[in-house]
Amino acid sequence: MEKNEEIVLRGLPISRGIGIGLPLFFSNTDDNIPETNVSKHCIESEVERYRQALHLSRQDVERLQHLSLNDGPPEIVNILGTHLEMLQDPLMTSVMEDKIRAICKNSESIVLGVIDEYKKRFRNIKDGYFQERVRDIIDVSRRVLGHLRPVQSMRLCSVPTNSIVLAHDLVPSDTVEASAGQIGAFVTASGGITSHAAIIARAKGIPYVAHVDIKLFRRFDAGMVIVDGTQGIVIVNPTSQTLKKYQSLKKGQLQNFRLMQSATHLKGETIDGYQVRIFANLEELREIDFAIRHGASGVGLMRTEYLLFSRKRFPTEDEQTAIYRKMAQRLEGRPLVIRIYDVGGDKKFDFEPASPDAHYFAALGNEPNPALGCRAIRFMLRFPQLLDAQLRACLRASQYGDVHILIPMVSDVSELRQVRARVAKISSEMRRKGMKVARSIPIGCMIEVPSSALLCDALAKEADFLSVGTNDLVQYVLAADRNNILTSNIYSPAHPSILRLIRMIIASSSRFKKPLLLCGESAADPVMIPLLLGLGIREFSVASRNIPLVKHIIRKWRILDACQLAEQALEYYCADDLKHFLEERISSLNG
Amino acid sequence: MAVKLTCKVKVKNQLGLHTRPAAAIVKMLQPLKSSVYFTYKSETINARSIMSILMLAARKNSQIVVSVEGEDAEAAMRIMVRAFEEQFGEK
Repeated sequence: MEKNEEIVLRGLPISRGIGIGLPLFFSNTDDNIPETNVSKHCIESEVERYRQALHLSRQDVERLQHLSLNDGPPEIVNILGTHLEMLQDPLMTSVMEDKIRAICKNSESIVLGVIDEYKKRFRNIKDGYFQERVRDIIDVSRRVLGHLRPVQSMRLCSVPTNSIVLAHDLVPSDTVEASAGQIGAFVTASGGITSHAAIIARAKGIPYVAHVDIKLFRRFDAGMVIVDGTQGIVIVNPTSQTLKKYQSLKKGQLQNFRLMQSATHLKGETIDGYQVRIFANLEELREIDFAIRHGASGVGLMRTEYLLFSRKRFPTEDEQTAIYRKMAQRLEGRPLVIRIYDVGGDKKFDFEPASPDAHYFAALGNEPNPALGCRAIRFMLRFPQLLDAQLRACLRASQYGDVHILIPMVSDVSELRQVRARVAKISSEMRRKGMKVARSIPIGCMIEVPSSALLCDALAKEADFLSVGTNDLVQYVLAADRNNILTSNIYSPAHPSILRLIRMIIASSSRFKKPLLLCGESAADPVMIPLLLGLGIREFSVASRNIPLVKHIIRKWRILDACQLAEQALEYYCADDLKHFLEERISSLNG
Repeated sequence: MAVKLTCKVKVKNQLGLHTRPAAAIVKMLQPLKSSVYFTYKSETINARSIMSILMLAARKNSQIVVSVEGEDAEAAMRIMVRAFEEQFGEK
């Protein structure tokens, strides 16, 4: 085959969008596992080693689940929930332990044997949908295998930026760690539209083409690769003409269609000229340019707890200051809302026992009901040294931009007062030392606990701004866990009770003339946006890649129509009726 | 007293006994004491295992034999029959 000749391969389009980058072979195969005998009297410690690997796998999945909870497309959270159940399945626990005892071999070889059995099974199932489900079982087993054999394996969160990832197959735990900023596209030899890896790729906006003969890539010297996930085409070594064409296409397709892309540069305003500001939710410094490119009015929610995830410890005050400062500078005067660490309770981090910060979470012990536990500001007030370090970092960054501090999980005004007092004390200390601090730094409250929603008038009076976090608010108001399949049908942001609460919060914030942000998945839900607009929300905060979508929808509405819609919606007292009404009314108007 | 019951049920879900119904079955059985088995295409599996249920790959309209044994067998059977009938809330 001629070197550097343009080659076009066709596959199954799985996830839309265009990726351009250099190819990278990604492998999750299980080569070279030695099989060793285990003597009878050592067998119990071998079983214990297996149990430990299972335990670590569970912790992995829980950690990924907590991290996806806020950010995440609900699909990811559901998939991980299933994996967690599989890890508690008798086939993984008692049956496996019995097998180890009966066969008397190392756990790795036994798990590998079981994976092979599943694969055989997998080939015999004709139904594509079930094939994909069995793939989840293999994925879960592989995770356990990974913990039995702690060899450094390649992970998708650590590949070079814009890599075109070539793999025989992808499993959900690979894709869940991938980010659209880093991965240019996925190309796999097998895989189907309904695979969980596919769902996750779509949710994250990573282009994906399956059923491509990736072995071909090894045969010719593959330089640049273009992946068109919309058409299902993979182009290797494109000519400069093709490359140009796709580069411009990619520019236009960053959001699924060009119409939305064009909206990024336009103002977020309704047909009749009402201004709406759309902010970005983000986790890391490197996402900020992406947010600005997508037309963000600023950062509405900086989830600082993600800084722990990559470091496996709390970042120091200096590290935080450097990050916040760079963000503030890049935003050039646009607001930067830094949320205090939302950790603890159901968001505990599994630091290594050796980590200097492991004691913070260990001190909480096993909370019997972590969802109602010591999380966010409750946690931070327990460890004032962590809170003060973070507040000091925010204050140090404040001279470089419009820094706001946001307090998560506020229950009443006392938490706000305590944070305010600390901020005042720290700023005067800093000024005494001759350090520069912004004259005043706005402090806001998350409204995500029912008590804070009911006290929104008092909070609106004392706080400088409010931010409604619909994900948690919905869960706590409806007392329904969206990860629980028996209650996930109750969990709905478009619930009559939630609409009433949001209306109440808006009324309080406008009475005291305080800005009100709305973040959470509902802010990027095409059905919810017009409704929220009509209720009076004028500031949305969403994942960067959804900003054009929100703008696009807002630009299609007249404020009067949205208000009318909200008024009518408030007449419904039953979630299902309201849902039908909204779907009917909005699908015709959103177009 | 331990009772043993068997009953034939039909999978009515569009997608068959996939992950969500399998998880629902396991959850429903958690508070119950009886042992519950599904037999499909001459293969019998423990209904308390999501993975085993999934590996049956029972599609829509499959006939499954549910066998229940234990002190609360009747209640367990009632719950299983109703769950299949109501398509695990997916109707």
